[in-house]
Amino acid sequence: MKSCRADIGTGGRSDRSFGLRLLDLAESVRAGLFPARFSVWTPYLYLLPATLITGILAIGLAEMAETSLHVLNRATFRPDPAYTLANYAAVLSKPVYLRIMLKTGFAALLVTGFTLLLAFPYAYFLVRTPHARLRRFLLVALFLPFLLGQVIRAYGWLIVLGKQGLLNAALAAIGLGPVSLIYTYGGVVLGLVQYMLPFAVLLLAPALTAIPHEVELASHGLGATPWRTFRHIVLPLARPGLVAAGVVVFTLTVTDFAMPEIMGGGANDFIANAIYDAFFQLSDAGMGAALGIVLTLFASLIVALAFLLVGVATLGHGAQQDAGAGR
Amino acid sequence: MRRGRGLERLILAVVAFDLLFLALPTLVIVVASFTAGRIVAFPPEGFSLRWYQAILEKRAFVDAFLRSAYVATVCTLISLPAGTLAAIALARWRLRHALAWQLYLLLPFTIPLVVSGLGMILLFGRLGMLGMLWPVGLALTVINLPFMIWGVAACVNRLDPDLEAAAANLGAPPLHAFVTVTLPAVMPGIVTGGLLMFILAFNEFIVSLMLVDARTVTLPVLMYNSIRSTITPDLAALSVVYILIAAVTVWLLDRLVGLETFLRAR
Repeated sequence: MKSCRADIGTGGRSDRSFGLRLLDLAESVRAGLFPARFSVWTPYLYLLPATLITGILAIGLAEMAETSLHVLNRATFRPDPAYTLANYAAVLSKPVYLRIMLKTGFAALLVTGFTLLLAFPYAYFLVRTPHARLRRFLLVALFLPFLLGQVIRAYGWLIVLGKQGLLNAALAAIGLGPVSLIYTYGGVVLGLVQYMLPFAVLLLAPALTAIPHEVELASHGLGATPWRTFRHIVLPLARPGLVAAGVVVFTLTVTDFAMPEIMGGGANDFIANAIYDAFFQLSDAGMGAALGIVLTLFASLIVALAFLLVGVATLGHGAQQDAGAGR
Repeated sequence: MRRGRGLERLILAVVAFDLLFLALPTLVIVVASFTAGRIVAFPPEGFSLRWYQAILEKRAFVDAFLRSAYVATVCTLISLPAGTLAAIALARWRLRHALAWQLYLLLPFTIPLVVSGLGMILLFGRLGMLGMLWPVGLALTVINLPFMIWGVAACVNRLDPDLEAAAANLGAPPLHAFVTVTLPAVMPGIVTGGLLMFILAFNEFIVSLMLVDARTVTLPVLMYNSIRSTITPDLAALSVVYILIAAVTVWLLDRLVGLETFLRAR
């Protein structure tokens, strides 16, 4: 493992002088444009590009909010210029949207539960195994699917679960009838659990690394069974990691589009699919935008609750990493 | 003692299940891509490379692949400076309203992708930027930038501030100190973030689905359109291309940064 601290200034000798001269030139340009007395502004200069880029999103969100305040005029099929909250009233009262929200929320709970159950032992074993080679293998097995998009993985599941897929071929071999899992709610949940598993392990592993092995050994030495050590030492200390992983998996699932779209076959839509359809099939941008704003608020609320539970440091990337992780 | 064994066995059993569960879609795709038959079926009919030949001969696939590579390159080139500088600023200095900056820069993670995509359609449409390819790359930067910031910030937190102070003490002007001390020190984070940005953009689906049209369609969107009609083996061959790219990225991450870096306590 290499550390973040790299070797400094051991470049090729021959081109170093040229490189340094180039740097001198750049330095004088900088000194002209940005003299030392401006240096209090340096941090904000550093933040400027990212702030502008994220600003695109903020403006986009404002556009969505504006769009959500106009109902569709059914006569002209254009948004009505008058401002109204009618779209929000419709989103929160129409049974069709209520049903989709419940279905999505329930799926997110299932996916979060199953993912954490599968991810925790993997992360624990990954962190604690004394065999370096095994750890590398487990890491590669985790990263390879992590870097594959949802379309590819959903396609893989269609091959596994399809009528002439692997599962049904295996079932037929032992004399069992074909089962149909694609285009079902269960299939969507299955695909999502597999998609979320690497995210959860990668969020849990650093939290588990932070637990000193000595604490577990001490617990064991004092006569606690492994189960009790796990229950009373490991689990409580891993709580920030569990909350972070749970929140990320839950919000990613609640806002997911691709899995229900591809694995659900149109009959198992999530909120994101309803938003997309409102825009592109029903051409009712206002309704879609209202649904989108509601989803955004809900996702933000979940993240805010998590911040309150474990502190920003676990999810964010600030200077005082250890200060915020209140336990 | 027996109960302890039980826990150990349970952990091992779950790990074994996870390994199979994680690998299954990838494995079936690889197997299916070598079929000689016209449909995806198990067990596959014979062995052939015909579907690999088929995707190379299909102009639409090659074009979409090149577009995805272009979009991913644009996304990475914008993210590298923007994310690196932001991460250094956030992790290095005690900013006023640091929490507000952090929350603002995490917006891409709290706003659902569908909403981000639709918001950008509305904005880009107003600016006359729809139908072009580079704005798609920009959009993918917008939604994934926190990954870049996160990758670099993890390294800046480990950077010893005394190093930069020493450089200044020895007479290095700000830019010299930045290029010769700060940048090399956070390079592993920049590499991690850059690789993540590239592969995420190469795979991105939902925001791309909204921003591209028939002339600018990228590979994941094209694959989705094909899946909706029929599940043919040529898509398996295309997926193998993605699996290879992911494998190369994992290898690069391991060589340049070390995969175990991701296990470290932050």
